[in-house]
Order: sequence, then structure tokens, then C-alpha cells
Amino acid sequence: MAERPINDQLDDLVTEILAGERPDLSNADPLVAQLSEVATELRGLPSTFFYQELKEQLTRSSEMSSTGQKIDPMTVRRFSTYICVSNASAAIDFYIAAFGATELMRLAEPSGKIGHAELQIGESTLKISDEYPEYGALSPQSLGGSPVKLHLQVENVDDFARRAVGAGAVIIRPIEDQFYGDRAGHLRDPFGYTWIVASHIRDVSAAEMQEQFDSFSKPKQVPARREGYHSVTPYITVQKAPELVDFVKQAFGATEVFRTTGSAGGLHSEVRIGESMVMIGGGPGMTERPSAIHLYVPDVDETFRRAIAAGATSLFEPADQPYGERSGAVEDPSGNRWYIATTVVPLSQIDKDLHTVTVYFHPPKAQELIDFLTNAFNAQEIMRSDSGDGAIYHAKVRIGDSVIEMGDARYEGQALPTAIYLYVDDVDATYEQALRAGGTSVMPPADQPYGDRNAWVQDPFENIWYIAATIS
Amino acid sequence: MNQVSEIDERLLIEAAQQDPSRFAELYELHFHRIYAYISRRVRDRSETQDLTAHVFQQALANLGKFSWRGAPFSSWLFRIAANAIADHARKLPRESDVEASPISNTNTEIDFEESERLACVYQAIESLPNDQRRVIVMRFADEKSIREIARELGRSEGAVKQLQFRALENLRGTVSEKANG
Repeated sequence: MAERPINDQLDDLVTEILAGERPDLSNADPLVAQLSEVATELRGLPSTFFYQELKEQLTRSSEMSSTGQKIDPMTVRRFSTYICVSNASAAIDFYIAAFGATELMRLAEPSGKIGHAELQIGESTLKISDEYPEYGALSPQSLGGSPVKLHLQVENVDDFARRAVGAGAVIIRPIEDQFYGDRAGHLRDPFGYTWIVASHIRDVSAAEMQEQFDSFSKPKQVPARREGYHSVTPYITVQKAPELVDFVKQAFGATEVFRTTGSAGGLHSEVRIGESMVMIGGGPGMTERPSAIHLYVPDVDETFRRAIAAGATSLFEPADQPYGERSGAVEDPSGNRWYIATTVVPLSQIDKDLHTVTVYFHPPKAQELIDFLTNAFNAQEIMRSDSGDGAIYHAKVRIGDSVIEMGDARYEGQALPTAIYLYVDDVDATYEQALRAGGTSVMPPADQPYGDRNAWVQDPFENIWYIAATIS
Repeated sequence: MNQVSEIDERLLIEAAQQDPSRFAELYELHFHRIYAYISRRVRDRSETQDLTAHVFQQALANLGKFSWRGAPFSSWLFRIAANAIADHARKLPRESDVEASPISNTNTEIDFEESERLACVYQAIESLPNDQRRVIVMRFADEKSIREIARELGRSEGAVKQLQFRALENLRGTVSEKANG
């Protein structure tokens, strides 16, 4: 016996114990002997199913004794959900891992196929079976979806969803504060069911709920901008525009989605990097308006290497920064500065409006630019780090769905007056507002042949703002 | 997990006396020790289940008569259980003297201590990792063979034996911790 693997030795003893025998431990490995004592204690372990059944039975009896009256035969005792899945055994594993369910019982065929199983989830029971087409039991996979959604009220929806996603659920509607007082989202499990997970965060009266609900049916204003565009898009003008397009393709994996001849006769190109767009224009002899861009990428070292290979020069090598990102910087042959960074947490956790391409300004006085953006475009400051006596090291403002970053220029030539294509809801009103805020008109609002209405305004720091909206 | 202060228990009992639907909380607190107590005195699972169900039904029906005299609620339940076992034994054909006199040594501290210890072991199972807990429940509560468990869980028999080994090791750790702490 001592020759048998230790797991087998132990199981031999367990088998004897379960058969009601008193095993002979004289030759057993000492550890195995100790563990067999624990096994002896477990003989006769109550079944979870029995525990639960008796509890339900007692609850029924107690309900009867509470009322002390005759029970209405039409009384409904309990409502529970019975789902059909393909691969019930895997589904049970999933619900245990994802939702902390407890298996109460299962009736399995020799093949493992499950005819009926019960799980405890919170205070409720979920019943599950495999597919039995002959009895009309079909899973969402076979039916092409399920019209029924399942709802879980949980203590902390964010933590709960995180565990579920770790177990294989997919978030199909993000976890967000809802008008009816819950924080909730939708998860799709690997078996085709949708689970609404929710935590209650505040009480909302029925009247307030209805009022909110009514507001949804009012016609909504569709953002007046081309698909794929955020509010803020850098418009870089350089003399060697085609070369710059090639550079961003090679260095940053940009894809060119549009190319034409610009209004001044040069190139006009639109490229996508990650989920952001960049406009690139210009040609020989044109005034250059390069830009500084904070470019968030999955792997800063790899991107940095590609940028150098594509002809950029290093401003500083990738390094871990004390403010929680790894970043490096390059200057491309056209003079644009790219601050390439990989963040420790997803961008959306830093700020929901932070994009792959985020424009970075180095104005001589950042405070004055913040004032202008606030007055002209209703920008909202979301953070700043400053010296306390007026100097701003780093600040972020939100305009529409985008974030702009800035810091005071620390040396001559760091300020790069640039251009921004800014989508707004109302071009004419924003144009007037920008002029009142101290902007200078370069071109009043006009409908353009490419489908946008736009107006051009120069701010006090020589940046050009193309204020635009698509013509509906 | 199973420990509540005397004050809390009194409040629970009073609540259940006023509103029997609160009895479930007392059931949850005491199920394991009563089950363990009975299971060590009758040698058959279905008898244990019947008697355990009987004890809690009796307790629910007579809860109004329970009055607090300093002894814990569990003593009252143990007494109902001891009586139930005695009644049960009387009904059995007298084939075996051992089976017929299961209450000869009841109501001793040692019995209760053993029940408490078993209840602790049962409850320690709840804190095992999921796969280990499932193996233990299937093996010891559902009395399934390693082969059956392996098939149901879609794992190899070796893996199931390994989980069983790890689980028993963990339980031994938890239980000796509790005994020492």
C-alpha cells in the first residue's frame, strides 16, 4: 500500500470509511492517516439539497402558523426561473464562478448530460437543464437568442460585474448610474442569457421616475458631426503632408480613411489612430501648424521603436513616470511632438473622455488659454497641477466629448500654435461666442461643399479653431 | 459563522416567537450541530434526515413554549433530538442492543462537544475553493464514487483525487486552527 500514490492511498481509506468500515491505519503514510481522520468526521455529511429542502419546508409551515388560518389553495408559493442551456455542466461552473451560486442538486445522465439541476443564487433558486429538443427544451444558441432577461440585485455592482467578466461574462451595456435609482448594466453569459446586474444607490419616487422617462421620448439632438469624430480633432498643417501621412501610418499604425485636395490647393488627409481621427494637410510653401499630441498606445516601447524607425528623433526614451504612466517622446520630421504613453489603468478610468489622440498645448500662459476655452467653447477644467502662484505644470479641460491637456511653455519654441477641428452643435452661436471671448475671425460661418458648415477663429495664442457642424 | 452572542440569540428567538417566519434564522444557526448529533447516533442517512426534520418541526411547533432560563437554545434542541432518537429506537425491532440503546450516554458534555466539532467541520467546507467544495459535497454528502464525480465535473479521476486530498488537507488546517484559536 505504501507504494501507491498518496492521493490513491487516501481515497482507498475514504472508500472504506464511506462503506462504514474502520480502516487499518497501521501501514498508512502519517499524513494520509491524519487526513483519513478528517474524512471520518465527514462521513454522513448532510446534503446541501436536504438542508435547503428542510428550510423551505419549515418556512412553509411557519407561514401557515403565522397566519393561523386556512390557506387559500390559489396561493402562489414561489416564482423561480428555469433555463435551458447547451452544456449545463459548464453553465453551472460558470454561474458558480461568476455569480457565487451554490449547486443544490443535479440529475445527470451517465454521459454527464444534465436533466435537471438547481442552483442557489442569493435568496433564489435557478433551475437548469441541458437541451432536450424532444421536450421543447431549447437553448438560446439554438433559438438565436432569448427574449427573457434575468435580473440580479447585488451589493456592489462594479465588483460583482468584475468577477463575472473574469469568469467569462461580457458587458453588453456598461455599468452606469440609472435614472431609476440603481447603478446597473447588462452582462451576456457564455450561454446566451442576458443578466441585468444592479445595486440600489438612491431612492427615486415614481413621479420623478416618470418625469425622467418622459424626457427620453423627446426628440434628441444628434451630435452634428461626422461619424467617428470626437469634438476635438487636431488639424496638422505641414509642408511635407504626404510624408507625414506615411510617417503616422508606419509609426502609429494609422489608417488613411480619406484624401483629397484641400481648399488652398494642398493635400487634405484624414487618418484614424486607435479610436481617434487626425486631419493632416498642407503642401510646399504653406504656413506650418505642427502640433503636440499625447498619444495613448498599448505598448509605448514598441510604438517608440517604430516611430524612431520611421524617421522620428527621440525627445526622451520610454520610462515609468511618477504620475502613473510609462511614456517616451519623439519629434517627427515635420516637427510634430508625440508624447507616447501607456497607462497603467484603462484610459476610461482616468477620464471617460480621454482619447487615443489627445492634443497637448504649451501656451506661454496656460491660465489664459483655459480662460479663452472656457468663455469661447464652454470648456470645463477637470484637473490642474500648479505652483500656487500662477504657473500651471499640467491641466486638463473638457470640451464636448474630448479632453485637451496643457502646461505652461517652459522654453522658447515649445509653444506650437496649431489648429483644431472642433465639432459643436451650433456653428454660428459658437463662432459669435468665440469672438466675444477674444478670438479673431479668420472666416465667418459658411456651408462647405464637403458637407460641413464651419467658421474659422484664431485664439490669442495663434491657434486656429475650425468650428464645425455637419449640415443636416 | 455559527456563533452568535447570547443576547443576539435571545433576540432571534423572541423575533421567531412573534413571527414564525423568522424561524429560518434559528434553523440556519443550529442545523449542522443537530444533524451531526443525530448522525452519530443513528447509522443511516435517511433516518438522520427524518429525525433532523422532526426535531426542527417540533421546535417550530413548540417555540412559543420555549422560555429563556439561561441554557442556550441549542440545549433545548439537543433535548428534543435525544427524545426523538429514543422514540425512534423504541420503534426499532430489538435486533441489536447497541442500536436499541442509543441514548444510554446522551446529555453528556462530550456528546455536545463532538457535535459542535462536527458542525465546525461541516461549516469549514463552505470556505473551501469551489472545485474542492464540490468534490467534498459529492463524495461525502452525495456518496458518489470518484469515477462518478470525475464524469460529472468533466475532470480526470486523478484530478478529482487530488482535489479530495487538497480539500481534506485544508479542512484539517481550518479545524485545527479553530481548535487552537
